[in-house]
Amino acid sequence: MKGKITITITIGLICFILTAVMFIQFKTINQTDITSLENMREDELRAEIAKFKTKYEETIVKYEEIVEKQEEYQNTINTDTEASELLDQELKQVKDLLGYNEVKGSGIIITLTDTDKQKIVAEDVILLLNELKLAGAEAISINDQRIVYNSYAADIDNKYISVTGVRLVSPYIVKAIGNRNIFRKWSF
Amino acid sequence: MIAIAILIGCILGALIGVHAPTISYTYSGYLAIAIVAALDSVFGGITSVLKRNFDLKIFISGFFGNAILSIMLTWLGIKLNVDIYLAAIVVFVGRMFINLAIIRRYYIEKWSKKDEAKKETLG
Repeated sequence: MKGKITITITIGLICFILTAVMFIQFKTINQTDITSLENMREDELRAEIAKFKTKYEETIVKYEEIVEKQEEYQNTINTDTEASELLDQELKQVKDLLGYNEVKGSGIIITLTDTDKQKIVAEDVILLLNELKLAGAEAISINDQRIVYNSYAADIDNKYISVTGVRLVSPYIVKAIGNRNIFRKWSF
Repeated sequence: MIAIAILIGCILGALIGVHAPTISYTYSGYLAIAIVAALDSVFGGITSVLKRNFDLKIFISGFFGNAILSIMLTWLGIKLNVDIYLAAIVVFVGRMFINLAIIRRYYIEKWSKKDEAKKETLG
């Protein structure tokens, strides 16, 4: 009888321990967030690390691509700047030719003055201007009146010379900018 | 009487287990393997009761011994990088199925004998 009671109590105790431990385990598994990093098993963590490594490598490749592209863009920008500088230069040259710009530089100044014996006529002026142009003058002016591609000179009443519609009288100060040596060699 | 002891033990165990603090997830693997080992011991005990060779000492030593041994083997497996706990689970669950089969046969035979006895008395 005594042995039976011991067996009964022992089996009850064993059942008690077993169910208690089982329920603790159920609760633990239920409450644990398996996806959180602290609760991952080692192989899961390893897989995660491998994934991140691949991602990291991919990101590096992408980064390098982007840097390359950036350099390309930078190069394009530089080329564009060069092109625009060239255009600017051309524009300046064209403006110089058209007389829109003030031109500074070395050259010669020729003064034509009427004398008692001789009067300067438009033909003389035209001749001089043509000679200067042939001598390679970049910019020419008479009495600060710029001579451009469509300028003209004409006599008016034998008193004035009209240069592109502006009446000029003696003395005529012709300023030409260009290579001084060539001007000198050119015999006027 | 034993059935009542089992019932009371299970209910008390469930109540305590629900209100007990949880353990760390890292150790829940060990606890799980210990539970499987203990369950195996319990089924083994029931089988031995049916076979009338139940020994309390063997039962208790098997219950705790198997649980502790399986925990240690699992720990060793993690250290050796071999999943030893799989082997433990295979052995324990296999034995559980064998024991369950023995228990099933015992009760089916008992029930069919009863049936035959009834028929004989009727005949």
